[in-house]
Amino acid sequence: MFKKPTLTTTLIIIVGFLTLCPVIMLLLGSFSKDFVSFGQFTTSKYIAAYTDPDFADILVNTVIFTVGSALHATLLALFLAYVNTRTDLPFKFIFKIISIIPMMIPHILFSASWVLLLNPSNGILNRLFMNLFETREALFNIYSLKGMILVEGLLDLPIAYLIIAPAMSAFDVSLEESSKVCGASNLRTLFKVTLPVLRPAILASAILVIVRSLASFAVPSVVGMPGRIYVLSTHIYRNISSGFAADYGLAAAIGMSALVASITLIYVYRYLTAESGKFVTISSRGFKPTLLRLKKWKYPLLVIVGILSFVLILLPVLVLFYISMLPYSMPPSARAFSLMSWNNWIEVLNDPISLLSLKNSLFLGVVGATLGTILSIFVSYVIVKIRTTASGILESLSFLSFSFPGIVIGVGFMWFFVRTPLYGTLTALMIGYIATYLPYGIRPLSSAFIQIHSTLEESSRVCGGSPFYTLRRVIIPLLIPGIVSGWILMASMFLRELTLSVVLSRPGTEVLAVQILRFAEDGLWGRLSALGIIMILISSLLVIIAALLGSRFSKLEVVDR
Amino acid sequence: MKKLVVLLLGLVLLPGLCATVMAAEKVNLYANITAIEPIMADFNAGQSSEEGIYTRISTSKYLATVLTEFSAGKLRADVLQGPLPILQMLKEKGVLAPYKSSSASGYPSWATEDDTIVQFGIEYVAPIYNKELVKAEDVPTSYMDLTDPKWYDKIVMPDPASHATTISWLIGLKEAKVFGDDDGWMKFIKGLAANRPMFVKSFGPSPAPIESGEKLLGISMPKYIITKAPAPLAWARVDTLFGTTRAMALAAKAPNPAGGKVFIDYWLSKKAMQLLADKVGEYVLTPGVYPPIEGVDKVKVLPIRQLSDEEIRHWGDEFQKIFYQ
Repeated sequence: MFKKPTLTTTLIIIVGFLTLCPVIMLLLGSFSKDFVSFGQFTTSKYIAAYTDPDFADILVNTVIFTVGSALHATLLALFLAYVNTRTDLPFKFIFKIISIIPMMIPHILFSASWVLLLNPSNGILNRLFMNLFETREALFNIYSLKGMILVEGLLDLPIAYLIIAPAMSAFDVSLEESSKVCGASNLRTLFKVTLPVLRPAILASAILVIVRSLASFAVPSVVGMPGRIYVLSTHIYRNISSGFAADYGLAAAIGMSALVASITLIYVYRYLTAESGKFVTISSRGFKPTLLRLKKWKYPLLVIVGILSFVLILLPVLVLFYISMLPYSMPPSARAFSLMSWNNWIEVLNDPISLLSLKNSLFLGVVGATLGTILSIFVSYVIVKIRTTASGILESLSFLSFSFPGIVIGVGFMWFFVRTPLYGTLTALMIGYIATYLPYGIRPLSSAFIQIHSTLEESSRVCGGSPFYTLRRVIIPLLIPGIVSGWILMASMFLRELTLSVVLSRPGTEVLAVQILRFAEDGLWGRLSALGIIMILISSLLVIIAALLGSRFSKLEVVDR
Repeated sequence: MKKLVVLLLGLVLLPGLCATVMAAEKVNLYANITAIEPIMADFNAGQSSEEGIYTRISTSKYLATVLTEFSAGKLRADVLQGPLPILQMLKEKGVLAPYKSSSASGYPSWATEDDTIVQFGIEYVAPIYNKELVKAEDVPTSYMDLTDPKWYDKIVMPDPASHATTISWLIGLKEAKVFGDDDGWMKFIKGLAANRPMFVKSFGPSPAPIESGEKLLGISMPKYIITKAPAPLAWARVDTLFGTTRAMALAAKAPNPAGGKVFIDYWLSKKAMQLLADKVGEYVLTPGVYPPIEGVDKVKVLPIRQLSDEEIRHWGDEFQKIFYQ
């Protein structure tokens, strides 16, 4: 479509600049004897990091945690995406929103909410179970690897959902019909046709969740540490917090293993989806996404999806609302309900820093996600349609900052931005956000691009359409579900971004997540929950607007067969 | 396309330029101390023409942030507040400037003996309990009471293998000979470990499980009795409380050194320290000023020796062997 080598080179320069700078600073820091990025050369940090006797156990925990979270998030997303996009389930619009709610909640709050529900001492659900069945044993101990996987999987569910759902909605049902006409059962069709065609999206989702959970800190610290379960991110934290002179060079040296793992995963993904033609479902031969009639299964499935959505997603949000109304956290009781008031909400809405944070985060969410999505469209095009070595490099580059554990990458950006005039500005935050979370835009768009046959753009070009005309009039309309998914992922992420913000934000550039962290450090869980719910409401509003705009501009007309 | 590129560039760069223009003539405090908004508000409402702004930096990122900015010539702080060991490291690196404030004239001599760093408070640690769930007769009266098996699985504390202040505090108990000799101290450590406390990453998250009733008591800070009121928190009346000291200094290349001095004078004044005690529950070194927590004005509160990072790592490893068995 475009002059391909020029486009690829330009994007490698842009993306490379965005993502390499902090990583290079961290690499320098990992070889520097001092506490800053430039110091006397040493390899002692790598020796210390990888000869630690605990490291093997940490790696085992990390593999179980990340793979478990990826399986949990992807399987749940597959189920929800299927019923939401491919069936005539009633109230689908609500379930679509519910599926992506966890990504609007600050992770620290979502984790704390699950602790209140499932801690073994007085967790609300555990208490309910113990009273109902008159047992002394808790139903589930949240402070375990299983608990960590439960919460992280739910937090990453929207990532998986927003990658799988567009692919699922673009799925041509005639493929399944052909299979059934040839005598295959529903199960055989699912495993031989449906899932293989969705392979790029499923793999993309699993890989993105693995990489994200590798970098995750909230769940390992709030759920894992009390259970004495350490993974890579908390191991890094333990290393930098043991002593007042936190050595981020050592942290970067440990973080390099996460980087290597992520890049390996990207190449595995490229290998497994190498023959992209296999996964094309939108060609020039009359594409019609269709809906499956559930008939007698409609209401039983509605009940199942409703209960799942309530217990896994809405209940933790309700717990947050409950905490936001209390003067301090306590289990539900008559006394607790008598103490309820709007005081925390009033405090938050009258706090000038909270209001400034809200304004800054909204700006970063809307403008940052829009710029990030535009960049993602071009990068995804090159990654999917120009499968050269250079496009592989571009894909790896896009994952660089994203792959680093969050508590380290922020320092990498600080080491970089402090050498520029942008240090301490909203612009630095925006560039950092886009650079780090580019995969959130690229992955759903790549999954969508894979399903669009190149004959469509070739037809436009043969008819005299310019590259940009073809992009604007042919490709983008077909990409709308992917664009909406990417934008929603980025905007929600930017609204609650913490790891970069906590290092880069300064007075005047405070953002919501930093204000939330302040409340958390002060132990003000009521105000924290109130601000968290405000954040969820704003994100939901943005998601609804994006979804409405997406359906208005989409050229895909869903036909109910 | 060109218009689009210009528009996008404008959107990216405009907020940065605006922020650069807006940042002018203020006193910038870098601090790890939390909940100090009432003191900042009082300073800004006072007679000084200076406007104080507060950049909060967690202890784990403090040194990296300040040294990075300083080495790039972009340290925005006029005044730095943090744990004493961090300020001592910053002094060695030339980040701090000497300044003796007359406001600290009544402080204990050990707090003001340095020509650059002044110590103004003690980050005091105590056994904290849920007063609605722990019966009066069960409340610990000594540190050794925490080793009673009745507290098995009922204690919360910061991770003694990694949290620097907790490690320093445990060693402080040893060096103060709270348990007589080292054997007595080790008996306490092993008894506490045998009660299998739940670990959190720092003092910040330690009161939440106590107030919610998930745990009955914990090793935490009495200041939460003020900041988390009306949560049912109280402190166990042990003989002596210990803690690391909080310190403050003027930055060597402060953008606004005169403003920085005004701010330090204000911060160390009895008025500001009274606010810090009343609103934040901090234990301050101004004579006669105590947080409004019952019994704190009568208990002995002592600073502990500042451990070096090597010592903290060494003892962290030792505690890991004991507590993670």
